Amino acid sequence: MIEFAIDESARRKIEATRELGEKEFRPAGLEADRNGAPIPVGHAFFDRCIERGEGRTRWRGLNPSPGDASKPQSLVTTALQAEELAYWDRGVINSTPGPGLPEGNVLAMGTDEQKEKYLGPFLEPDRPRWACFAMTEPSAGSDAAAIKTTARKDGEGWILNGAKCFIGGASRADWILVQATLDASKGREAQRAFFVEQGTEGLGGFKIERKMGLKAYESTSFTLDDVRVPAENLLGGEARYERKAGFKAALQTFNAGRPIIGANAVGMARAALDEAIRFARDHDLLKRDRVRDRIETMARKVRKSRFICLRAVWLADQQRTNIVEASMAKAMAAQIAQEATALGLELVGSVGGRGDHLIEKLYRDVKAMDIVEGTGQIQRMIIARKLVGLPR
Amino acid sequence: MFDLNADDELGLVVDTARKLAEEVLVPQLRDAESARAVAPGLLDAWDEVGLAGLELPQSLDGAELGCVARVLVNEELAAGDAGAAIALDPYGPALTTLLEVGGVDAAGELVRVLGHGRKRAVLVVDEDAEIELAGDLLTIDAPWVMADEVGAVVVLAGDEALLVTEGWLLEPVRGAGMRAAGAARLIAKEAPIAARWSSRDGASRARARARLYYASLLLGVMRAACDFSTSYAQEREAFGKKIGHHQALAFLITDMQMALDGARLVVQEAAWRVDRGLPCAGEAASAWAECIEVSRLVGPNGVQILGGHGFMADYPVEKHMRESRALGLLCGGFDAAIEEAGHVLVRSDTPLALGVEGAL
Ligand SMILES: Cc1cc2nc3c(=O)[nH]c(=O)nc-3n(C[C@H](O)[C@H](O)[C@H](O)COP(=O)(O)OP(=O)(O)OC[C@H]3O[C@@H](n4cnc5c(N)ncnc54)[C@H](O)[C@@H]3O)c2cc1C
Repeated sequence: MIEFAIDESARRKIEATRELGEKEFRPAGLEADRNGAPIPVGHAFFDRCIERGEGRTRWRGLNPSPGDASKPQSLVTTALQAEELAYWDRGVINSTPGPGLPEGNVLAMGTDEQKEKYLGPFLEPDRPRWACFAMTEPSAGSDAAAIKTTARKDGEGWILNGAKCFIGGASRADWILVQATLDASKGREAQRAFFVEQGTEGLGGFKIERKMGLKAYESTSFTLDDVRVPAENLLGGEARYERKAGFKAALQTFNAGRPIIGANAVGMARAALDEAIRFARDHDLLKRDRVRDRIETMARKVRKSRFICLRAVWLADQQRTNIVEASMAKAMAAQIAQEATALGLELVGSVGGRGDHLIEKLYRDVKAMDIVEGTGQIQRMIIARKLVGLPR
Repeated sequence: MFDLNADDELGLVVDTARKLAEEVLVPQLRDAESARAVAPGLLDAWDEVGLAGLELPQSLDGAELGCVARVLVNEELAAGDAGAAIALDPYGPALTTLLEVGGVDAAGELVRVLGHGRKRAVLVVDEDAEIELAGDLLTIDAPWVMADEVGAVVVLAGDEALLVTEGWLLEPVRGAGMRAAGAARLIAKEAPIAARWSSRDGASRARARARLYYASLLLGVMRAACDFSTSYAQEREAFGKKIGHHQALAFLITDMQMALDGARLVVQEAAWRVDRGLPCAGEAASAWAECIEVSRLVGPNGVQILGGHGFMADYPVEKHMRESRALGLLCGGFDAAIEEAGHVLVRSDTPLALGVEGAL
């Protein structure tokens, strides 16, 4: 059974996160939503991130020098912070500078040279810097084994061709970790990841998609047209693939993030709930049984999904397998958060129809939680593989 | 965050309960149901390992374990047979009601009244019965208590806990479930109230503990339903493959398991709050409501997964379906639970804010 207490240090961190979220994230998110465009690269918000010491790599921090007592913080604390930050604005989280999604892959698989070259600039960034991971393609998302972007050996280097879509931060990234296949007929075994630096010839056609929600960060499509990269840009180096398949590491990225996405969803649901209660109180609705029942239902589901998420990260903190639990966390929390925002809108009634209410924004934002990093259906497939041996 | 391992006392208790459920309760499930009693000797064995008085204070020779222990043990036992779980507990939530409202002395009264006989105490919550109080006389009509014989009646009415030691009548009924514990309508006309205690906060905590008592039984029943139907789905074939490999069933099973896991966590957190002396009324009511809601998914679908076979008494899932539904009617059922949880909730502007009281 998991312990339900928050220790003093976690509580202080949550408190700090709350202040940051209220002061910085909420206004930045609302502004981007009004503008219908991502927070622009030169925005002062990003400079303040860098000034506060954010946007840095975990590289080296994970290996504290001798005598350094600081341990990496628990995933439970990270999840609680993720919940709190998403409470204030989920889209803004993804907009913030840093090595972001591919960092885990590079840490897990990258050679020392690759870490130095690609994560090094994030040790003490001179300016806001971004990186991104590009897996999804117009014709393949959930079925990641079916991507069509090709990598062809050409002398010492590689030539990449294909198209990617919905990639977070692609147009502003210093480099993009691109997933490609050596032979599309061979599925995941034949996939490799490549560092493609911004400005490389053939990398282009950047199109920032217009999204329903999460407008604070860019989700961008682009093309790779005979993009030539040197041999050392293959993540992990060639020798690695003689031993292992490339696909596993890509999946690991998805895996690590699931309960955190779940925690994000919990935070968003909480925000919707708080807004709904405030509205109901201001309009003298709380004495109505039906209104209270709906609020109770929302709160009950949200608490449940919070515990489901925390269990998943807690297991990971204990170095125990959490495949089923991590998928449950994401599948459950995303769905419940969607319901919570929908219920919240029903409470505010036609006010929600105006399109300027926070719950209305949350309703749009939260849908992506059931799509990114494996849809709710894909999570259920993963769980079902374990529960009933559902074949792949 | 902590873990239960076999080293600690609680871990041992839970393991003992699990073993008993798997090795004794499950094989005897239908026998106990038709006999309306657990096998003779089982009670003594249970008493001997010291688990009959789980929450009983040490001064009364009990194990003095808390609410977390109770919910863990109840889930294990009920995963075997919920009726037997009730039959094995001489005090039931009547004990925690007296403990919370009247303190150790009140619990001592109950122990004295029950003596060493084999009759159990039953708790009747005001929401589940028609109750009239006139001075020190109780008139009551409780349509369903889970016992064929009763040694003491504890009534939780408003802020009061009443101990009644004589003057009732039991009308045997069939019982929708938990028959191993028995089933009767309990009626009393102007029965003397032997002792009474009053405490607003105590009564609220007593209600919370009663809800968690039944909630944890419900968890056990649902777990049994999930486990049984899940393994069945991996053996039975239709249209050339295991029925569990058809996505419609695979996802249904996934959702059942997910719902159960969530319900368990909210129950355990509420129990943890009880043991810490934190506010727990809203959380317990909410956890109870969640369990009931989940039981509406898990109970009937446990049968559904087995198809026509599930409908037959050859398999335990029909029992799980009946019993999960019946348990969920107690303590005022779903409506009373959400009513209470809702009132607690809307008192706060930000009910789910992190870090309140160092709890989640
Ligand atoms: C805001 C946002 C940001 C994103 N950021 C990134 C990013 O940074 N990098 C990146 O690589 N990608 C990113 N994505 C893409 C995202 O990972 C994919 O959209 C997602 O994996 C789903 O793929 P798809 O859109 O192709 O849908 P599809 O795979 O075509 O799925 C369509 C529907 O079919 C269902 N489905 C598919 N297979 C099965 C099955 N076997 N059984 C049952 N149902 C099934 C799905 O659940 C879904 O409902 C982002 C997407 C969004 C919305």
